[in-house]
Amino acid sequence: MNMNNFHYIRKSPRRTDGELIVTGRARYTVDIDLPGMLYAKILKSPHAHARIRSINTGKAEELEGAKAVVTGRDIGNRRFSFIDTPAYPADQTPLAVDKVRFIGEGVAAVAAESEKAAEKALSLIEVDYEELPAVFDPEEAMKEGAPIIHEEITPNTTTAWEDFGIPRAKSRPYKAHHNISNRVFIEHGDIDKGFREADYVREDRFVIPSTAHAALEPHAAVADFQPTGKLDVWLSHMGFEHKRFWLAKLLGIPLSNVRIHKTYVGGAFGGKISLFAYEFLAAYLSMLTRRPVKTILTREEVFTTCPSARRMIVTLKTGVKKDGKITAQHVRIIDDVGAYRRSSPTALYLTHVFRNPIYDIPNIRHEGYGVYTNKIFTTAKRGHGLQQMIFAVESQLDMICDALELDRLEIRLKNLRKKGDVLPNGDTLRSYALPACLKTAAERIDWRRKTSHKKPNRGLGIGTASMFSGAHNFPFASAATVRLNHDGRVILYTGQTEFGIGVETVMAQIVAEVLRCPLKDIIVNAGDSEISPHDIGNWLSAGMFVSGEAVKRAAVDLKTQMLRYASEGLGIPDSDLEFENGWIISKSDDSRKCSFSDISRYGIQMAGGDPLIGKGFTKCVPEVYFWKGRYNKTASLTSGKGRFTEAYGLAAAMAEVEVDQETGKVRVIHLVVADDCGTPINIKSVEGQIVSQAVMGIGDVLFEEVRFEKGAVLNPNFLEYPIPTASDIPKIDSIIVDSYEPNGPFGAKEVGETSRAAAIAAVANAVCDAVGGRIFSLPFTTDRIKKALVAREKRKS
Amino acid sequence: MKRSMVFDVNGNKREVLVSPNQTLLDVLRNQLHLTGVKEGCGLGECGACTVLLDGDPVKSCLILAMEAEGKKILTIEGLAQGRDLHPLQKTFMEHHAFQCGFCTPAMILTAKALLDRNPEPSRREVTRLISGNLCRCTGYKDIIEAVMRAGDALRNKVNDDEHE
Repeated sequence: MNMNNFHYIRKSPRRTDGELIVTGRARYTVDIDLPGMLYAKILKSPHAHARIRSINTGKAEELEGAKAVVTGRDIGNRRFSFIDTPAYPADQTPLAVDKVRFIGEGVAAVAAESEKAAEKALSLIEVDYEELPAVFDPEEAMKEGAPIIHEEITPNTTTAWEDFGIPRAKSRPYKAHHNISNRVFIEHGDIDKGFREADYVREDRFVIPSTAHAALEPHAAVADFQPTGKLDVWLSHMGFEHKRFWLAKLLGIPLSNVRIHKTYVGGAFGGKISLFAYEFLAAYLSMLTRRPVKTILTREEVFTTCPSARRMIVTLKTGVKKDGKITAQHVRIIDDVGAYRRSSPTALYLTHVFRNPIYDIPNIRHEGYGVYTNKIFTTAKRGHGLQQMIFAVESQLDMICDALELDRLEIRLKNLRKKGDVLPNGDTLRSYALPACLKTAAERIDWRRKTSHKKPNRGLGIGTASMFSGAHNFPFASAATVRLNHDGRVILYTGQTEFGIGVETVMAQIVAEVLRCPLKDIIVNAGDSEISPHDIGNWLSAGMFVSGEAVKRAAVDLKTQMLRYASEGLGIPDSDLEFENGWIISKSDDSRKCSFSDISRYGIQMAGGDPLIGKGFTKCVPEVYFWKGRYNKTASLTSGKGRFTEAYGLAAAMAEVEVDQETGKVRVIHLVVADDCGTPINIKSVEGQIVSQAVMGIGDVLFEEVRFEKGAVLNPNFLEYPIPTASDIPKIDSIIVDSYEPNGPFGAKEVGETSRAAAIAAVANAVCDAVGGRIFSLPFTTDRIKKALVAREKRKS
Repeated sequence: MKRSMVFDVNGNKREVLVSPNQTLLDVLRNQLHLTGVKEGCGLGECGACTVLLDGDPVKSCLILAMEAEGKKILTIEGLAQGRDLHPLQKTFMEHHAFQCGFCTPAMILTAKALLDRNPEPSRREVTRLISGNLCRCTGYKDIIEAVMRAGDALRNKVNDDEHE
């Protein structure tokens, strides 16, 4: 394909819905206001671990304005989770039933005429707790005699996997031994042989704390249960399939009775995929009261009751030859999941499979344990598991270079995989521009000159990353429809959700590119579960690769239909017709043409009323399927077997920093991120995603951490949990390394999620380079840096 | 006790019943339905609720509604002149200076206050002045660019007007 021949993609049109945003007219869930609406509030546990002896709601129920009061016992053991499989059944309930497992867990909920009345009602609820010994450290929690956080977990009647028809054993109760919530064990090659072949082996331990997503829109939900049995909901979310499934399942109503309406979403960053208890409670209270119910969390509630990113301890043992070729790597990860497992089985699997395409390591053993503790549970955040693993792997590579006196860029180039490589699970690297990413980034930051002529107090660092473009798992596929209108304009229906990615614009660009009609003639209807076909959602970086391809195919289907009518109507063979600027024109005689509107009229008048609707669909990994006992290559989260994805996004980052040797203060001077995202559909959007992730990565390295004391979040606000401000931003170069992904729409694939992990590793390595010593725990606070500086001076003397 | 007050919002006089402890944010969003004003934290830390009071950016979650009486309140809803967008609204679109858009109304108003005072700010001044407004999506790079370019547009407009 001639890449320069594109008309509407590989360009940077502005957001088609931009005027809604800059005029304040974009409507977010917090802005939804329905007549007769009630307000819900949730009573939270003050204890990290306690049995609920009794709850007295009498006084709250009598309060004027309180319309419904519910407790965990009223709702019962309706279990939900991100993962709900026969082996790992859902372990969480919307409100605690018998005991609370973290400070902030909901124990009762109220719907009232005003927020104030709801708060007043909460204050009248009396809960009698029996405090239990709690455990906060995952390594302590694994020890014999540690407090047991979960008694045996009884699954729902069926697990989600059984509901989807995934052919595995029937669900069974889960008993957590040593508080282990889940485990992963992936192996390929011969690890012992790999270490025997190594000239140098080292083992290091890295600690990565939880960081907050800190989306600017606080979490919110509005639910309106209709007398007809229909449930209308507005959510701050990342794709309706997951939410709709869980709401229907837990409420016991048909899936098609739940409508998730389109809303603007004020940031998500992976944190808003799973169902939240407050979303269920808004719907449940609306069913009870037959009134619309709204709930908006305060910022403190977002920090203390909604999960932040995963906390991991990564122990890494690596063997290398003298020349830096890696022969073996043994990874052990403890994922401090908190009170509930949520996505940990996925995350532990992703710690391996996300990094798998980067370096060609012949012998790997990858073990991981999710461990329950009495803290708020954790979840996905922009590359789930990737940045924790990459921080460890890339930090250790630099230590290996120091020990063996190897060049830090060369060791990476030497160990990279190659385009066309087939990974141990069968995934093929059809596009792979990571070597080019590293070389381009090195040139831009002037790596060779700057590392050979090192300035005092300065340091340079490298990071790499890779990421899926969607996965094999639920909801497996995306579809889209496009409809030609009487006025010649085209309406696209897609389940893609807008939360900052400009998805309506890029999808419109794809349709415009196929139909060669002006972008303004594409109307996008996105993110409404009732009018959109099924959709994989905007997570696991699936939006462009999977849903974008479905949109493209829908447009191609419509184009084929239009071409047939144009040919019939004009009496010109279709081989002599082309689409251009909203017209279908004869190539040999450009005076013979018809408009899109003419085609619509032809369908109605001459073709029996044909509405001209194009349909497109695709599945992320077509090879994976299951239906009534027939199945193929379904991936195992526990053993890492089976197919994962069809295309990997890749990135390399390089950073230059300056560290004040007295105060430990870091100034990031220059950050370069080169991202292999395939064809960029919207160049400015792609660059925006790269910069966004890179800046988040700076916060991850330098100051972001959700801190705990005895299970309580110590810093649940932006004053004590700072995120990067405009003043923290260095010079940033985002470079698009445009490989062509043959299976993606116009060659596009994943973008952005790699940039955060790569930036974290690059900045961290640059700081350690400037400090002249290694820091093993994130974030690199000035205290930790000062300690490393003192240790360096001691080593010198 | 609640008191009836008249607010000058976006050039209109609006009569509202206000309690002494109500924040300006609460009145603007929940009584005047100006939902372009966003609440991100309620503690004055994120800046999403910024509005202009007699041209000065204030965090509307931190001030009492009563303090705004007699002052001109500008929210994002009042920035465009009819169908004509303010140059900042245009440059924010041109330079992709938003992603989720939740912080955008406040960011634009903060920038307007700056440009009204100094139509030729340095990049450093822009950076410093918007650093009280948090944005988790964009990484700020395109926002700074959009503000700089809006400054250019405003200056050119002034020059054009002078030439006329």
